[in-house]
Amino acid sequence: MTHLVIQAVLAATVLFFVFNLAALHTWMERKQSALMQDRIGANRAWIVFPRWLAPLNWLLRSFNVLGLFHPIADAIKMFTKEDYIPPKGDKFLHTLAPCLSLFFALVGFAAIPFGNTIEVGGHVINLQVANINVALLYIFAVASMGVYGVVLAGFSSNNNYAVLGGLRASSQMLSYEIAIGLTVMGIVMIYGSLNLQELVRAQGHYLFGWLPLWGFVVQPIGFLLFIAAGIAETKRIPYDAPEGESEIIGYFVEYSGMKFGMFYFTDYLETIMIASLATTLFFGGWQVPYLTQAGFQFPWGAAFALAPLTVSILQILSFVMKVLFFCWLFMAIRWTLPRFRYDQLLKLGWHYMFPLALANVFITALILLMVPK
Amino acid sequence: MIRTKTVKRPELNLWEKLYFPEVFRGVLLTSKHFFKNLTLHAFHAIGLFRKIAAAVTIQYPEQLWKLPGRSRTRHRLTKREDGSPRCVACMMCETVCPARCIYIVAEEHPDPNIEKRPKSFDIDLGKCVYCGFCVEACPEDAIRMDTKILDIAAYSREEMKLDMNELLNPTIAKAISAKP
Amino acid sequence: MPTLKIDEKEITVEKGTTIIRAAEKLGISIPYYCWHPGLSIAGNCRMCLVEVEKMPKPQISCHIQCQDGMVVHTQTETVKKLRQHVLEFLLVNHPLDCPVCDQAGECWLQDYYMKHGLYESRLDENKVKKSAKAVPIGPTIMLDSERCILCSRCVRFSDEITKTGEFGIFNRGDHSEIGIYPDRELNNKYSGNEADICPVGALTDRDFRFKCRVWYLKKTDSVCPGCARGCNITIEANLERPQHGSGERVMRLKPRFNDDVNDWWMCDAGRYGYKFIDHDRIMEPAYRKDGQLKTLDWNEAVAGFLTIFRAMTAQSKEKIAVLLSPQMTNEELYLAKRLFVAELGIKKVLLVGTNPDGDQDELLIRSDKHPNRKGAEYLGLIEEKSSVIKVLNEAEKGDLKALLVFGQDLVSLYPDQKVDHLLQQLSLSAFIGSNHNFTSEQAQWIFPAATYAEKDGTCTNFEGRVQRIQKALPPLGEPKPESEILMLLAERLGFHWPYQSQEEIFNELSRSAPQFKGLTYQKIGKEGIKV
Repeated sequence: MTHLVIQAVLAATVLFFVFNLAALHTWMERKQSALMQDRIGANRAWIVFPRWLAPLNWLLRSFNVLGLFHPIADAIKMFTKEDYIPPKGDKFLHTLAPCLSLFFALVGFAAIPFGNTIEVGGHVINLQVANINVALLYIFAVASMGVYGVVLAGFSSNNNYAVLGGLRASSQMLSYEIAIGLTVMGIVMIYGSLNLQELVRAQGHYLFGWLPLWGFVVQPIGFLLFIAAGIAETKRIPYDAPEGESEIIGYFVEYSGMKFGMFYFTDYLETIMIASLATTLFFGGWQVPYLTQAGFQFPWGAAFALAPLTVSILQILSFVMKVLFFCWLFMAIRWTLPRFRYDQLLKLGWHYMFPLALANVFITALILLMVPK
Repeated sequence: MIRTKTVKRPELNLWEKLYFPEVFRGVLLTSKHFFKNLTLHAFHAIGLFRKIAAAVTIQYPEQLWKLPGRSRTRHRLTKREDGSPRCVACMMCETVCPARCIYIVAEEHPDPNIEKRPKSFDIDLGKCVYCGFCVEACPEDAIRMDTKILDIAAYSREEMKLDMNELLNPTIAKAISAKP
Repeated sequence: MPTLKIDEKEITVEKGTTIIRAAEKLGISIPYYCWHPGLSIAGNCRMCLVEVEKMPKPQISCHIQCQDGMVVHTQTETVKKLRQHVLEFLLVNHPLDCPVCDQAGECWLQDYYMKHGLYESRLDENKVKKSAKAVPIGPTIMLDSERCILCSRCVRFSDEITKTGEFGIFNRGDHSEIGIYPDRELNNKYSGNEADICPVGALTDRDFRFKCRVWYLKKTDSVCPGCARGCNITIEANLERPQHGSGERVMRLKPRFNDDVNDWWMCDAGRYGYKFIDHDRIMEPAYRKDGQLKTLDWNEAVAGFLTIFRAMTAQSKEKIAVLLSPQMTNEELYLAKRLFVAELGIKKVLLVGTNPDGDQDELLIRSDKHPNRKGAEYLGLIEEKSSVIKVLNEAEKGDLKALLVFGQDLVSLYPDQKVDHLLQQLSLSAFIGSNHNFTSEQAQWIFPAATYAEKDGTCTNFEGRVQRIQKALPPLGEPKPESEILMLLAERLGFHWPYQSQEEIFNELSRSAPQFKGLTYQKIGKEGIKV
């Protein structure tokens, strides 16, 4: 019973943070792109109280100026807009598609470990919603299910442009899933596990006694390929040919209101998902260099004892910071590069990424065979 | 004879073909702006380096862009010394207007040396394309487009029409009705 | 028959022909102001100067008669220079009034300046101010002597054509100006022509004043319906800018040259008689019962009218009277005759004038104020006053059941017959016309008809000249031309008439009426043809 409660609390916490992060992501995106382009960014959604509540206004002022209420305004807009279903479209599938997309984007987070175990009131809690043995497979499984939402959206809209967008999206996602699957094979081979918590723990070792044995150290090519293919999975620039809002339009062209909002949200969730995966697989997850359960133990011999709770908090913070860094990086790439032409995109996937990832697996295997444990 | 000149596409070298270094270079450039502007914004928040702009944005309704002297803006009718319109209703602007947004009705002026004057002079800003031909065509310098008024909005087409009084007194800001 | 050369082209002309006329025949245009083909030669504007070989000085081509072996040059440098200087001289005292001048757009000063002038102004002195601007010198004409170039066309017109002599040139030299003799007023019956012949903006039309600019006007050739003369006119209408002319579409009528009918002129009654086209129009079909007027659409109105009319044609044909009018075109009269006489067998189909006879003079005006009485006569319709009164008396006695009126205001025309009561007593009374009048106010069924400016057709003037009228405007409101109304009635009565256009009706008419034999619209052309 307590176990169930603990799991429920964990799940709720992860959901809460993921949702809020995705919402804040819209704000981050606006502000980051603005700063990158010498602009100010959205700052017009203000909450202002009548004059007799002036102190409140004073408190809200910086929020207002920073435009932090824009996500709320967005939500209100999305919920109050007309929900339009094309009269000749499939009503059921049209409604199902965004739900599928959102669902599969969310459930993947269950397998992401965001901290080591902590002990609360005699219970040892693993900071992971579901400690699945084959977590990596699970994540790729649910991520590849996401393509259903996209294809159904295109199909059920009864709009040729939407169908074409859905087709573009599905072939792109399938192509890059192969590449992304192969890139992480190297990691799996080196650390010898599909359990993400185990993978993270394995990254706590040190090469030569001082270099943290994180994924990107042992798999630099794999890391780069993973980032490139990961962005393709999120369908964001430079891989946004399926959506192409600005001109060719994509699979959700017939969506409005909150259904559109769900697709929109899915994009951000997928970004966070890829950021979390990159962190977990290549950046040592919740690991902080030289931090053990007892505290810091630097390679030159210095030590700094810390309470177990402090250690756990530091580890969780470390995880969050790494995820945010990747989010920032993805956004920087998204606001820097132009879009690939669709043939270029598929060529990149099949002609370069896939063979490179394959070669990476072989070379890793060779090195593993030659270098004794 | 048509001569063609073949322009060679720039070939990418290996470094560029690798793609990642070039992506990195691009991200570096945009990140430079990001961090520079982020720092400047932070300094501005505590009152430092206010003179170095962190953004090129003009916050429109509060801040106004300084219009170039010759920019064409909403029309106005100029006045004689006694305050009556200079316009003699010659219909040159009405004739030349490519959008046909000018509607003039002429009448007799009590002074036979002026002879003709507009009884009504309406401009439908909903149709106007701001080409400025009316100003060019006017032989009396009676119509100008120098009011610097650009924020013209209304909830109905009817409200986009300006009558002679509004054109003569550009300071009369037409109130936008609350709701259609 | 002298043969001469103008600009290297040879031409043989009648003896006594002037050079300007000969050049006109060759297609060479020589500019002129004071010369007018309908007036005597004054030769005072000097604009038409040409060089004639073996003559010491340039000559005015409007006055010099062609001689055998003459060699004339109209395009030499000297001639071009002369035209520039003459224009400069004419414009010395001319104000720069074009923005407020009604003549702008059809002003000969503007035209010739753009063609022959194009000089830089050298004028340092002040212009000599003439007396007051914009003086109304009569009910129709406004005089602005500042703009006058003293061509004296108006003086000659009033001396030679109307022979009323109101105009004169007063003072001398730089101060000479055109004017009306003291205690006189320009109020002859042709005063509107003064504005036409004035090549500049000195004499302008008070009726047209400031209504709209001339380049807005759409021009359609037509024939004046004001009297039996049938003067050729141009209907000038403003259709695209409805803000002008306070709701009127027809802005003015202008005479159109036809040396067999009206030369260059038209009378004021015709010129200003166009107001009915845009005023007091019957806009839609209507039915009146017990004084209550109910507007209908065409289908309802025709159906309602025909249910009564059809029953009547079956039972009591002799109790129906149809009053056609000489205002209708040949085509309409033919159709009406075919429907009521040939198809339905109605005996009482009479011609009744819409206007009482008026004044007449030697120049243009005819006492008969209908454009097509001769055409009606050719179709076998002759008006007899007594027969109308007989019909009306029958109606009073109750021997008449139905009366169809084509535009005549019977109430005013026959005040002794108490027509207003009759129209309501009858089982069926219908008014088919374009404008409201006392009769339309009493009739039971009202069908709006198009005016002459809104339909095609032909009229025959008092000399038997068939001339075409043409549609210049769409009908105002719902009206249809009488021919279309008749065709609609015929169709609903079960007759299959094959006409697609007025031309087809006319072709059939020309086969059936001997006077029109062999005529087509093409043969009638712009000028009309005498039968």
